[in-house]
Amino acid sequence: MEPALVTLIMGVILGYLAQRSRICFIGGLRDFVLVRDTELLKGAAAFFVTTWLAFSVAGALGLVDWRAPAYGGDASAQPVVMDASKPAVAPASSALDVGLPVLTVAVVAGIALGLFSTLANGCPTRQHVLAAQGVRDSVFYLGGFYLGVVVYNLVTKPLLALVF
Amino acid sequence: MPFVTQFVTLAGRVVPRRVSAVTYGVIAGLLAVGVQVFFGVKPPPAYGICVACHTRDMIAWLVNHLAGTHWEIAPVSLILPLLTTVGLLIGAYLAAVRNHERRKVALGGHWRSFVYGILVVNAAIVALGCPTRLLLLSAYGDMLALLTVAGLAVGILMGTILLSRGIAN
Repeated sequence: MEPALVTLIMGVILGYLAQRSRICFIGGLRDFVLVRDTELLKGAAAFFVTTWLAFSVAGALGLVDWRAPAYGGDASAQPVVMDASKPAVAPASSALDVGLPVLTVAVVAGIALGLFSTLANGCPTRQHVLAAQGVRDSVFYLGGFYLGVVVYNLVTKPLLALVF
Repeated sequence: MPFVTQFVTLAGRVVPRRVSAVTYGVIAGLLAVGVQVFFGVKPPPAYGICVACHTRDMIAWLVNHLAGTHWEIAPVSLILPLLTTVGLLIGAYLAAVRNHERRKVALGGHWRSFVYGILVVNAAIVALGCPTRLLLLSAYGDMLALLTVAGLAVGILMGTILLSRGIAN
């Protein structure tokens, strides 16, 4: 089936469940630190464990072609990091030989993502849910989210090209 | 619309009023891997769920088609962009309507939220993806993503400290 349609249907299911569960992967750690509430953190842990197991099972059945995840959008240029003959259960320790600039940028971007998302009151998924629920702030957040893609292509990407 | 009413009625019957975060995590995890393995949502791999990247693909696809630019786009989104985020909005809207939780709320931080939106999507695209995809990539075996998740945790701790001291907001 067409990926666009598949992800649209998946999105509807996720959106419905996300609204009912108030899920937020950023909020998990925040709630734990602030009020020792582990509900959302357990959700993030469940997601990680489930995907790990599912990838392992699918890999063992030969359903996954193990290619290094693309750093940008171009996966075709990525080397194969793990072939089907190797055991698929252990994660491929692959992408750490990418050089210091890439590592630094990734970690700094991770910190920025965590910091700004916490200050914005939730991860992107949660903001989508809140916007659909009628929270005006999150509607504005989404506006920034869409404009941010333009900013990325016009400003951030040229700046990053100076690093690499 | 009758279709919407039917869907909402059905969803209300199938999905309980309260869904735990763990339930969401398990179902989202199965979907994220499932759409890659069974429905060909790749390349790149571990791309089943990513709010930031799918938004990037959608906007870049639109701009590329309207303005003739060549903005970066994931291979899977070349013909038609992935519509996860549109689905998210629809699903959350239906759930809110079904459970009478849809109401206009203004917290009074419109433009601050707008700026955070710009900052978050930029950080997310540079960092390989939104928090969901970072976990997905880590589970796929990408050590760089795992390292970024560590950075993400540090960032959340920093933000939480700022929040609890009342410095931000």
